[in-house]
Amino acid sequence: MNLPIRHRGNLHEIAALVDDRPAEHIFQIDRRVFVDPQVYEAEIRHIFEATWVFVGLESQIPKPHDFLTTHIGRHPVLLSRDQDNKISCLLNTCRHRGTLVCPFKSGNRKLHVCRYHAWSYDSAGRNVAIPERATGQYPDGFDHENHDLIHVARLGSYRGFIFASLSADVPALDDFLGEAKAFLDLVIDQSPTGQLEVVPGEISYTFDANWKLQFENGLDYYHFGATHASYVDILKKRASLATSEAGFSKEAASEGEGQGSFSFDHGHAVNWSIKQTTLYGRPLASDPQLLQAARSRVGPDRVKWMLRQRNLTIFPNLQVIDISSAQLRTWRPLAANKTEMVSHCLAPVGEPAAARALRIRNYEDFFNPTGLASSDDNVMYEFCQSGYEAEQAGYTQGYLRGAAGAGIGTGRHAKELGVSPAESAFGAVSFGGETNFYAGYREWRRLIERAAAKAI
Amino acid sequence: MTELEQAAAFLFREARHLDMHEWDAWVAMYRKDAVYWLPAWRDEYQTTTDPQTEVSMIFHNTRLGLEERIARIESRKSITALPLPRTLHQIGNVELRAASPAQIETEATFAVHVYDPRTAKEHTRFGRYQHVISREQETWLIAKKKIILVNDKVPAVLDFYSI
Repeated sequence: MNLPIRHRGNLHEIAALVDDRPAEHIFQIDRRVFVDPQVYEAEIRHIFEATWVFVGLESQIPKPHDFLTTHIGRHPVLLSRDQDNKISCLLNTCRHRGTLVCPFKSGNRKLHVCRYHAWSYDSAGRNVAIPERATGQYPDGFDHENHDLIHVARLGSYRGFIFASLSADVPALDDFLGEAKAFLDLVIDQSPTGQLEVVPGEISYTFDANWKLQFENGLDYYHFGATHASYVDILKKRASLATSEAGFSKEAASEGEGQGSFSFDHGHAVNWSIKQTTLYGRPLASDPQLLQAARSRVGPDRVKWMLRQRNLTIFPNLQVIDISSAQLRTWRPLAANKTEMVSHCLAPVGEPAAARALRIRNYEDFFNPTGLASSDDNVMYEFCQSGYEAEQAGYTQGYLRGAAGAGIGTGRHAKELGVSPAESAFGAVSFGGETNFYAGYREWRRLIERAAAKAI
Repeated sequence: MTELEQAAAFLFREARHLDMHEWDAWVAMYRKDAVYWLPAWRDEYQTTTDPQTEVSMIFHNTRLGLEERIARIESRKSITALPLPRTLHQIGNVELRAASPAQIETEATFAVHVYDPRTAKEHTRFGRYQHVISREQETWLIAKKKIILVNDKVPAVLDFYSI
């Protein structure tokens, strides 16, 4: 009986590693959060396997019997569309002996047959065959048991973004996403049909560092000039040679430059910037007809925001980066010091060929371990992970930019988008506030505390 | 030397330039309008086939893309090259797939051993090279290089020197 009590003690201790005292402008994260295997275990169990996580786009499985496989925390799952177009998210483990039922990344199958003893399931997860059942000398109770694949506790979708939860104790998806939806909309509504698709060609990579380095980096505008100095040099040189002019857009002079962020409930946040001179073009701005159609569809204010850099984090496992291209990236923690990333080029359905080609080139240019910018981030995470081993150095000072000025001057921006964020920040283009990390860490702490309260 | 031997020697020279960080000599082996293409994988079996509608890991349709990559790691501003990993290219199974007075096409396998002197971690990238080499008077220049990377789950960073 000692073990659960020790576990509860650990969870309270783990939750306290996020030291959040807003009234004192104190926000600090103990280094253990990044390096301790016990913290990793707690995160997997009580965050990734206990709240809504993004699992895929509806458009990735467009036809009946299409499927893809992914993970929710440690759990392998099968996302499958059945005959009636209903999408199920099923634990990808045979009811008979636990074997991975579907070993493929994606495809189209009416039947998923386990390769071990050929128990078979349809595209809705219903068991349709237990071979040699009659001669199996099964006990009476066997016939009364359900043999279907297990559905995850909750499944929901927002405009094609599918989320699943292994715990039923979560808010409705609509409430979970809350006003962060406005920033998904800014990507989705770039499509004339209101649908997004991933461009074929998935890229997956790992880094030897904690997943929260990626979480933070996606909201960190401050690092750009230093970490990506070599990429900025390339962009400047291209601009001077005018080798790439497609898609460059201008803000109205009256807009005023700046860099800001909004934080929402349940851990979501977005950072954004308004710059008079951009160093890269965008597919939407590369085609005057496309741009005009978007303006008439959603209005000039929202198109203005579509053309601004926006890095959206949907806690705990999704970032949608909309810059020179759009990236859909998810992560899966493999250990305290190892993370697996999956990245897709995200695109509006119905995009003209030239804009699509520009989107793909820009995506390859910036993102992924083969790109000229994300590769620097990945290596930087590994440098951080190494540095975090210096336990005696105590707390880092990495959460304080913007701590004194939260909420300044963003009312106009929020109003344009019709959102009222839980917190907002705004400053000069060089601001790079760090307070937009807080929402995620507060949700992180809430979920660990919730688990601590439940532990027996 | 036979044509096959000449082709193999050309591929070995390209590999040596990369391993020895002789970037100028390496990039000089490419035509200005060279295509350098590392497709992504569409699924377990097939790579992407059309760079205009599908994602590649790297796609450059001029030499400038390679020159930018060289400038980036030479700038001492990219952490991916601080320090630069040591590499060792091994090329095998060189075949001449086509030969005409204007160009030759080769296919070969590669294994690149990558060692990070900072962490002492090492990994190997392996796959196939498909070269289209144009004969320009006395010199040969790469018109197109397609690289099929077999193990495409990349540890943190992958650049032109590690494939």
